[in-house]
Amino acid sequence: MSNNKKVNIFLLIIAVVLFIFLPRFLSGYMVRVITTIFMYAVIAQGMNIMSGYMGYLPFGNAMFFGIGAYVTAIGMSKGLPFLVVVPLAAITAILFSILLGLPVLRLRGHYFAIATIGMSAAILSVVKNATEITGGAMGTTLPIIDKDPSIVYNYFYLAMFGLMVITTLSLYFIIKSRFGFGIRSIKANEEAAISMGINTTYHKVVAWAISALFTSIAGALYAYWMSFIAPDEVFDVMIAVNTVVIMLIGGAGSILGPIIGAFIIELFAEVAWSAFLEYHLAALGIIIIIIVFFVPKGVSGTIADFIKRKKIRARKRVSI
Amino acid sequence: MGGNNTILKIMNLSKHFGALKAVDEVSFEVKKGEIIGLIGPNGAGKTTLTNLATGAYSKTDGKVIFKDLDISNLKPYQIARMGLTRTFQVVKPLIGMTVEENVLVGSLYGRDKRNTDMKNASKRAKEIIKLVGLESKKDFLVSDITLPDLKKMEFARVLAMEPEVVFLDEVMAGLNPTEVTEASILVKKIRLEKDLTIVYIEHIMKAVMGISDRIVVLHHGRKIVEGTPQEVVNDPAVVEAYLGKRYAKGIKEANNEG
Repeated sequence: MSNNKKVNIFLLIIAVVLFIFLPRFLSGYMVRVITTIFMYAVIAQGMNIMSGYMGYLPFGNAMFFGIGAYVTAIGMSKGLPFLVVVPLAAITAILFSILLGLPVLRLRGHYFAIATIGMSAAILSVVKNATEITGGAMGTTLPIIDKDPSIVYNYFYLAMFGLMVITTLSLYFIIKSRFGFGIRSIKANEEAAISMGINTTYHKVVAWAISALFTSIAGALYAYWMSFIAPDEVFDVMIAVNTVVIMLIGGAGSILGPIIGAFIIELFAEVAWSAFLEYHLAALGIIIIIIVFFVPKGVSGTIADFIKRKKIRARKRVSI
Repeated sequence: MGGNNTILKIMNLSKHFGALKAVDEVSFEVKKGEIIGLIGPNGAGKTTLTNLATGAYSKTDGKVIFKDLDISNLKPYQIARMGLTRTFQVVKPLIGMTVEENVLVGSLYGRDKRNTDMKNASKRAKEIIKLVGLESKKDFLVSDITLPDLKKMEFARVLAMEPEVVFLDEVMAGLNPTEVTEASILVKKIRLEKDLTIVYIEHIMKAVMGISDRIVVLHHGRKIVEGTPQEVVNDPAVVEAYLGKRYAKGIKEANNEG
């Protein structure tokens, strides 16, 4: 292991420890804001594997968030414990992603993105109308944890943080593996990829299943955390829109990008809320436009470019 | 012809796009270790034939037999893993990756199952990069290297898959005469070292002559001639396809007089 790598791992461990103890110094409100940031980072990692690394934008990914939330709500209303319900939620989402992915992943580019929005809308209307099972459009409640709210919020802060760390680490190892090279090849040039022995259909379906897994567990935690969910909220297309923006700003196709993006966007949204009560969406929109124009590779991509340029310059100096 | 050392058999292969017969009942055989030149004017069906043989297009009719198996209904990735691969007329580098990573993908997903392991694949990729002479460029992004280097990279990527038969689709296109000579030497050298069978697609006749054992000439989707380079250049049908009827007639008359 190189020294550089050792330093990076050391810094990451320090960051993890800091985040674990951070809630002690924050207001209850800020703890909830940061929990939301972690949640968006997880959903953005689900988008990152599909879009950032494989080049397929799953705009309807909110459906897995909703599926995760609803399976959790229904399972817990039947008296199942949370830790049993979460795997069920994940398996349901994965099954959906495979069944829908096999036909839809034949479509490329925008057509795939649009098809997933359609599916998300279809599932939303099923959930809204299957009133006996889902509680219908009015939403449904989950059991409340019988403890002091601040302790409960700390639980969810830690759970969401743990989920974010696990998804990010898994993504890191996936991307470094043979499978990771396979999906990156699909983004780079699908025709070349298939001629190089890559079973593109298999790779696409598995990547979407992983994406569904990440997103559905975030949904499951969210449902238990909120203890009330409604279809229009957990299947909201805006979840996906927000996530795409987070991924782009942090840097699509980079491991830490989605986390950086989630912090930037969510914290900025907080500031925008309080400073521009009436125009906060407009202010957010302007910031997004500015970033897309001036930092098109996202924050982490721009930093990586900067480091690379510095290295090349250093190498040139040596050779002179 | 035929016999045990035939590795690839194209049998009555056809591909129609509506009324256009892009490839029309073409048959020929390729023996192990041979270099076959596949030539013909623009639009003769050379690239379509490559796409059919490697599974990128589905055939209208006919068969492709590779190592005694009918592969004409298999997917491109299955055919590639069996050891029949290709380069592209217009290079298709994996953008966003380095030269080494491009070659690594080839070895990870190639014919040799040991290379599904990252360590083995990476070692293999390094060897191949050395073999084609791209060592000094291995950490460059593919978007930062020149066309001749891209062509070398694409050749390296295919070699990393440990193929038995390679379709080289106009690897010389866009290269200047010096680069063409260099590339020909490289192909010859590696072919011997790796015991490769090569189907060499070109529309520049001169580039194929020196390198091929046999040549197949396509015109309007049909095979018009097959033979040694000498037989092919002197064939009136080939001259006609390339230079037009009047020129061919002139040659015929000259031959008769002489």
